[in-house]
Amino acid sequence: MISFLRVDNRLIHGQVVEAWLPYLKVARVVVADDEAAASPLVRAAMGLAVDGSVEVQIARLRDVDFPGLSDDSHKTLLLVRDVQGVLDAQERGLKVGHINLGNVHYASGRKQVSPSVFLNQDELKALEALAQGGTEIEIRGVPNEKPLLMGEIEERFAKPS
Amino acid sequence: MVGLVVATHGRLADELVATAEQIVGKLASVATVSIPPGSPPEVIREQMKGGVRSVNDGHGVIVLADLFGGTPCKESLLLCQQAQIEVIAGVNLPMLLKANSLRAEALSLSELAHRLALYGQKNITCASDLVRAVVEPAANH
Repeated sequence: MISFLRVDNRLIHGQVVEAWLPYLKVARVVVADDEAAASPLVRAAMGLAVDGSVEVQIARLRDVDFPGLSDDSHKTLLLVRDVQGVLDAQERGLKVGHINLGNVHYASGRKQVSPSVFLNQDELKALEALAQGGTEIEIRGVPNEKPLLMGEIEERFAKPS
Repeated sequence: MVGLVVATHGRLADELVATAEQIVGKLASVATVSIPPGSPPEVIREQMKGGVRSVNDGHGVIVLADLFGGTPCKESLLLCQQAQIEVIAGVNLPMLLKANSLRAEALSLSELAHRLALYGQKNITCASDLVRAVVEPAANH
């Protein structure tokens, strides 16, 4: 079962290891990311950073069995790099009722909506469509932070920068 | 001389070096990489490369990172394939001070790194217990 879906371009890193994993108490972390999966060094660094009692899978997005992850009984934290990663995963059978946005770094065309999240028009539209379909969307860096919800995200995006 | 790069989240790296310098004076061949929230990965990678380059005179570089699995650590691990770099996670002030002084000895980069990791660990103690053991030996079993 997917307990938590996080969009974080840093994938497994300090916030995830030190804040989210103790908070979520999942049995498994799945990183669905082509770039991370391609590097043995990145896979090792990320895998070793997580406590041995938690299973870590780092795989290319197309190799992840999303329906399987959603169905079995292991509480799972799923990490993808960007909003497109969420859409790709959904196309491959991922079902989740919520999306957490943690770190989405600046890139050309993206606008800052929180200290660590930048979105472009297409990403915002995709999130709006998901929200309309009933998916809860939040920006939250670490568990004890106040979440920024879709309405506020839209407001911040609409503000002239 | 072996170069040192202190790489951390936030401003810890700068402050650690500033604090070390307050204790032992100016540190030679030390660079800091501080990573603010929201930095794009390419920028972090360039910062890391720049930091390593700035202190590498051919004798190699030891990166002292804050958190194993954290971004500063991960990014420095990516560099250790290409260049003569050792990465230590869990940097603390005793380790940094020792790194600075131990560079004067003719150790291999790998040996230097191992000694520093051990030294950093050994300097984390329950200090009050150590003092009590001396001051009130009878109270200890």
